[in-house]
Amino acid sequence: MENLKDKKILIVDDEPEIRKMIEGFLRKDGFFRIYSATDCSSALSICQTEKPDIAILDVMLPDDDGFSLLSSIRQFSEMPVLFLSARGEDEDRLLGLGLGADDYIVKPFLPRELVLRLTAILKRVYSSPISEKLSVFPLGEQTINLESAVVYKNQKELPLTAKEHAILVKLYENQGRIVTSDALCQAVWGDDSYGYENTLMVHIRRVREKIETDPSKPIYLLTVRGLGYKLLVKETK
Amino acid sequence: MEGVSRILRRFVAATILISIFLLIFNFTMLWVLVFTENNQSPSPEDVVKQVAQGIKKQGDNYQLNEHTAELLQKNNAWTMLIGEDGRVQWGYHLPNDVPQSYSLVEVAKLSRYYLMEYPVYTWEHQDGLIVVGYPKKSHWKYQFDYLSEWVGSLPLRLILLLISNVVLALLISIMIGTRLIRKVRPLVDGVHNLAKEEVVQLDSKGIFGDLAMSINSTSTMLQHKTDALKLRDEARSNWIAGISHDIRTPLSLVLGYASDMEENSDLPEEQRHQAGIIRRQGEKLRSLVSDLNLVSMLEYEMQPLHLKNIRLSVLARQVATDFFNSGIDERYSIDLKLGAEAAQIMGDEKLLFRAINNLIQNSMHHNSEGCEIILETTLSKEGSKYRFIVTDNGLGIPQEQLKDITELPYSPKRKGTIKQGHGLGLPMVARITKAHNGRLILESGVDQSGLKVIMEFPVNQQSVEN
Repeated sequence: MENLKDKKILIVDDEPEIRKMIEGFLRKDGFFRIYSATDCSSALSICQTEKPDIAILDVMLPDDDGFSLLSSIRQFSEMPVLFLSARGEDEDRLLGLGLGADDYIVKPFLPRELVLRLTAILKRVYSSPISEKLSVFPLGEQTINLESAVVYKNQKELPLTAKEHAILVKLYENQGRIVTSDALCQAVWGDDSYGYENTLMVHIRRVREKIETDPSKPIYLLTVRGLGYKLLVKETK
Repeated sequence: MEGVSRILRRFVAATILISIFLLIFNFTMLWVLVFTENNQSPSPEDVVKQVAQGIKKQGDNYQLNEHTAELLQKNNAWTMLIGEDGRVQWGYHLPNDVPQSYSLVEVAKLSRYYLMEYPVYTWEHQDGLIVVGYPKKSHWKYQFDYLSEWVGSLPLRLILLLISNVVLALLISIMIGTRLIRKVRPLVDGVHNLAKEEVVQLDSKGIFGDLAMSINSTSTMLQHKTDALKLRDEARSNWIAGISHDIRTPLSLVLGYASDMEENSDLPEEQRHQAGIIRRQGEKLRSLVSDLNLVSMLEYEMQPLHLKNIRLSVLARQVATDFFNSGIDERYSIDLKLGAEAAQIMGDEKLLFRAINNLIQNSMHHNSEGCEIILETTLSKEGSKYRFIVTDNGLGIPQEQLKDITELPYSPKRKGTIKQGHGLGLPMVARITKAHNGRLILESGVDQSGLKVIMEFPVNQQSVEN
């Protein structure tokens, strides 16, 4: 993970104050190979000479817009790109993401958000594939291995069905937060999933039988009446 | 084209009525003017009859009574009595060229036609035949004779005549009418298109040329005005978009450094707290800018809608869940009463999400003491409208303010001031509802407490069936 901080970052923005601020935050976070450019032409030349690992592009630039800059970059490099725009319109966002940008942040933004999103992209693109694997996590006395879809309970191996697995993954991704039954149905049965609520309840019961110590009094997979379900992972006490 | 064919129908009906009236009028006039003139009174037949009655035998001679003599003199007529033997028994003003005796053939001839070019009329008398003669060329005599069959079929022939008249009138009127309509039709189309705000360019030749020209210039004028209006709306909306864009960069710096200072553990607690205030106010400004932008886009109908089938109940759960997940204050509670899960509307998910979110935020803003918020979805009885209702049991809004609360703040239509928030919340909800062809209803709760906001949308009918 440490080598993520070695990555070269290019900031393109015509506003020097913004460049300075972003650079400051990135340095504070441990990044140190930071390049900045004020317009498309200088950005392109830096891309060719320094070959940065990721670029933060403003959409409005003095000589051209960020979208065409991305197209030019794409002709010789597949590096990840994060758009930073003062225009929040949906069309712009879709255009940017459609052109192959990895993320799109609307100004004004919080520095922590920018750094987190940037790190997330770097992790996704450059980290070793091992960390991409699904988690193995303990739940009380049970251990749940989402990678191999198995629950270890009382020295026994309980395999999860595909639907149960999908439910658990969705809940685990949002652990500690309520996930609506609609969102769960969508995760398991796809977009047109209206009418599966009762089936979902059956599957939830089966999941509880595998992961809860006492399935009739669940303490990890909780029902939030009228809304959906919530998975509590840190219930170790 | 409905209108044009109606005009044609009326025109034809009127023409037929007029022609029938003309026909009746003509017959009447014929009778009144022609035949009454002809039938002068008394008619020759009358005169001869009166002569036959007015003649008196006095010995061997005959005497006319005074009245009859006067009648004859007035008509310049003469009279004679032809006896059984064919000789003239008696005469009155008898002209010299009239013979004194007649054969059977001569009597037959004079009873029908003329006697020595005198138009004569005959009547029978106990002593023979009374003949009354009028001056030469004063009368024309014709004999009419008809087949009885012809007389019998006369009514039918008259009806036939009438019908052929009507048919002729119909044909002529349709012909004239269609010619006229052909000229009128483009004008009618033009006016209809004007109403639809389409561009109209008519041929300005022909009898309705000036009318066509007027319609053309009206269309051009309308087009110019619509363009100007659109341009102005665009300019306004772009202006707000531009401002909000220009605010974003400086705001980025404010937010960035403020939140950096807030997290900086080297700074004293008080400074960090103050930085936190700056950051929070900056975030408020950020949401104001984006709300302002959205409201202005909606106001000028420039906001693109990404429509898809949406179940409002799903949205309600999502919004409520988001509030719970981000930690809702203990003072507030959100309850759901969701019905008609299957009903769908065509809507922009993000905008509707924002509207519902705004309504909940609004209830919280106005009730810092806390309140219960209820989200409700119902289908109207006939199933054509889907309602999303947000109710709270808080302070509510006075009746007199309910009316103008959806107006933009600081617009001249809105009286009163905004207590909390930037006041764009409800106006935005109203505009989002309108963009979905819906209706926003605001009601004050029972006993003037609490607020009930109803968003009513047309149901996507296909969704109800399955």
